[in-house]
Amino acid sequence: MKEIAIDVPVEPPKELESLFLPIPKEYVEEVYRNDEFLILVGPQHPGSGHMRLIVRVKGDVIQEVIPDPGYVHRAIEKIAETRLYVQNIPLVERPAIMDSANLNLGYVRAIEDGMDLEVPERAKYLRTILAELCRIGTHLYDAAILSVFLGHTTGFMYPFGIRELICESLVKMTGARFTSSFIIPGGVRRDVSKEILDWIYSATFAIEKRLRSFERLFIKNPTVVARLKDVGVLSKKEAIEFGVVGPFLRASGVEYDVRKVEPYEAYDKVDWDIVVADDGDSYSRFLVRVNEVAQSLKIIRQCIAEIPGGKVISDQICEGNDIRGEFFEKLAGIVLPAGEFTTLTEAARGSVIYTIVSDGESNVPYRLRVVTPGWLYLRGFMESLKGERLADLQAIYGSFGYFPPEADR
Amino acid sequence: MKVEFKARRLDLLRMHLDVIREAFKQAVAPDRVTVEYPRERKKYPANFRGIIVFDKDKCISCFRCAHICPANAIQMTFYEKAWPGIDYTKCIFCHFCVDSCPTGALRSTKIHDIAFATMGEMKLNAVQMLKAPELTREDSFTVEYVVDPQGWRLEKKAEIDELALEQFIIPEKRRVSVCVDPESCLGCRLCVELCPNDAISVDRKANKLNILPEKCTGCGICVRNCPMKVLELKEVK
Amino acid sequence: MIEVLIDLIRYFLSILKSNQLDIPLIKPIIALIMKIVAQIPIPYLSNLVDLILAVILWRPLFAVVVMPGLTVLMIYLLYIVWFERKLTARIQWRVGPLEVYRPLRGAIQALADGIRYLFQEAIVHKDAHRPYFVQLPILAFIPVLLPIAFIPAGNVVGIKSPYAVQLTIAFISLIPITVIAIGWASNSRFAFIGSVREALMYVAYEIPFIVAAISMIFLYKSGDPYIIVENQWIPGAILNPLAFLVFLIAMLMATSRLPFEIPEADQEIAFGPFVEYSGILFGLVMVLAYEKLYVMALLFTILFLGGWNGIYISLLGDLNAPIWLTIKTIVVISIIAMVRSMYARYRIDQAIRIGFSWLLAFSMVALAIGVVIGYEGGI
Repeated sequence: MKEIAIDVPVEPPKELESLFLPIPKEYVEEVYRNDEFLILVGPQHPGSGHMRLIVRVKGDVIQEVIPDPGYVHRAIEKIAETRLYVQNIPLVERPAIMDSANLNLGYVRAIEDGMDLEVPERAKYLRTILAELCRIGTHLYDAAILSVFLGHTTGFMYPFGIRELICESLVKMTGARFTSSFIIPGGVRRDVSKEILDWIYSATFAIEKRLRSFERLFIKNPTVVARLKDVGVLSKKEAIEFGVVGPFLRASGVEYDVRKVEPYEAYDKVDWDIVVADDGDSYSRFLVRVNEVAQSLKIIRQCIAEIPGGKVISDQICEGNDIRGEFFEKLAGIVLPAGEFTTLTEAARGSVIYTIVSDGESNVPYRLRVVTPGWLYLRGFMESLKGERLADLQAIYGSFGYFPPEADR
Repeated sequence: MKVEFKARRLDLLRMHLDVIREAFKQAVAPDRVTVEYPRERKKYPANFRGIIVFDKDKCISCFRCAHICPANAIQMTFYEKAWPGIDYTKCIFCHFCVDSCPTGALRSTKIHDIAFATMGEMKLNAVQMLKAPELTREDSFTVEYVVDPQGWRLEKKAEIDELALEQFIIPEKRRVSVCVDPESCLGCRLCVELCPNDAISVDRKANKLNILPEKCTGCGICVRNCPMKVLELKEVK
Repeated sequence: MIEVLIDLIRYFLSILKSNQLDIPLIKPIIALIMKIVAQIPIPYLSNLVDLILAVILWRPLFAVVVMPGLTVLMIYLLYIVWFERKLTARIQWRVGPLEVYRPLRGAIQALADGIRYLFQEAIVHKDAHRPYFVQLPILAFIPVLLPIAFIPAGNVVGIKSPYAVQLTIAFISLIPITVIAIGWASNSRFAFIGSVREALMYVAYEIPFIVAAISMIFLYKSGDPYIIVENQWIPGAILNPLAFLVFLIAMLMATSRLPFEIPEADQEIAFGPFVEYSGILFGLVMVLAYEKLYVMALLFTILFLGGWNGIYISLLGDLNAPIWLTIKTIVVISIIAMVRSMYARYRIDQAIRIGFSWLLAFSMVALAIGVVIGYEGGI
């Protein structure tokens, strides 16, 4: 295609100097000299979330995207240094409230790692159920955001409608619709009765039935396929190079899942598959997560069918089976031995890393390092935007399910 | 498991028809699950974490709730004894305080919808927490989600759900403070000063702590503040 | 002097009287009104009432102002905004507008919104070209409302013309210019992008749209709505289904409805050309697309669905044709409103590709079908 250029001298607009952009002045000038243009998408844009994207476009084609994250940075790592170990449980859930159980689980596992706690089997199964419920919830949330980015409002309402069942399951189990703070060192806060587990078991079928409506209207919608197919492609090599994690790595053909590689909780006792796709485009990223929802439902059903009896809290923490009334006695005084304890957990959007550094004598962490998946795949996300059209920015954004509060922590 | 998607032109036509069929189906008979909230109320389970109420007769002023609160939302104020007051601008409803309360003086209700006129009003003191806040109930139905393999539907019942129910009674455990290592005691009298019930005194002649078990409520303030950690809470039958 | 004036009014009245609507249903009512008025001892009152009634029932004015003109357009606007929200909500497992007068299930929500727009401050921002920014939403109504004068409903017609279909198409083609001008006057990035997208979409749908309409003109061998409707004892949709399909899709593109809601894309360019508008000005530009849809649906009904053909109710007399036309139009629009909750938005290049590839091809085939049927004189 022949490029037609009209030589009009363009001055970089004054406003680009005053917006505290994380790019040097020379870069702006170079962009404008090359007949290109800088577009600032966000943080108040309806299709950007709490992040600014500095998009360098030539015509309608994106040349480069520079992210400007940090608008929702809440210094979770620093705050954690001033709180008791157990007080950090509600804190570490906050980065991604839909995915609270997975983030909670990673932190608690790091503490258990340090204290050498043996978690009872029943608690492990309950934790798995919680984690998978939150995974479904997050995937549905991301699907909803993707569809509203594509202008499909029905696709927005359906997953949020279905997510109501997840919230209801969580409220029945833990007492809160999300940010349940239910997983504590040594087990879970209370036992879950059989009626509630049965309710969740039937809810999985109801979710599946509703998802079929969603599939017909959104997943297999020709306009959606047209928007997402062959857009924002990350090849297998690139995905590994840029350190993409989670379902987005699997969408590029890499068969890696922490739940299979280093099984924790009850994941090695149930039968499930890693969902992989080869194309690495936006649509396969979306499809992988849709199919992971089906796998999660399968895991939940198996867990509920096979859940053993017994205690839900470790003997090392509490003699009884209920921590209510003794929460302070048993958990407030936790002191980890000196050392560094790291766990890798598969959250809904990818692997989340928790590292606790303890000095061995204080009842607060010396240092807590949290690396959330959003932060890890930000690079891959930015690279996949190159060479796409500006209108595809939202489609790719939605296909990654990038969640700034999670990435910024 | 490998997922892939391939569609030929004919498949696309079928997909278009699927979309149109599903939309018409929903337009004619929608799978609606709306709870018309102020007029209907969803039934929440007994373990729901909502607004917290306080029972002053059970409180032993042990400060555990204020100490465990991750959001620093609980402030103790002195009335007859030191009682907790919750600042709902900060509260995150994790209910660590409820789970920490050794006597069940704090308990949860199913109330989750309170409107405060000002930020200042959100800071409740213990006296305001004695009763569950008054609600203007507009609801005449209670709705429950019913799920089965056939799907998900709402079940409406013409009854009003009681929101401020007693939900969980903590098994009472009587504990008293005991000095386990009298040799290490510095004699700093911190415990004597701190004890809210004047249960601790120092016997000068015998040079030892006297803890009166009948006065001690087992609040553990002395235990937590002892610089030499010579005090401990012991369960008594 | 007064005699001359009265003579003039008499002459005027005679013109009006020569072209009155004939509605048997309201004849007794008019007679009753005249009887009551005759008893009131005020000079010239009965003449005045007679004049007012004559003006209202004068066919050209009735067509433009009442039906299928402005009054019906207003009612339609209130109805379609509510209906679209309600229908979308139904498909999306929601309830939709409800609380603005609950016994009517929120039916006056659109009215409440309109009143709110009216009393809101209309902000004109600093960088906007002030005169055009304020004028254009009002100027945009000229090409939208003018076709109504030419579209007939039976013998109720504003301006009778044998080229009514062609004229309507010409006026519809003018609308995007005002939208582009609105984007220019707004002087904002998103409005600029929206204007350019509107221009590109215009290029994409205009040719298939005109070709599809022309194929029907060939088919009926005339652009006169009367001949078109008379010849439609088989609806045009069955005679030329391809033209029907092309016209329908072009209608979606022209009124920027999903899946072609590209110029206004909320998530990408935040309502495109109209991003800077607020208050009543926003209310005006917002209904622009709905009015365009109304005009196009009127044309669609005349070309493909047999216009004002329907069961004749003798009691309604001349009112039959406008009522049938309006009902058919509103049914068409109500079905089109459903597309909003079915599809995602295409990308601009995909939409243009659709417009220039198979939409254009289909329209050409439709043209061939129209020419063949018209030439054979099958109808």
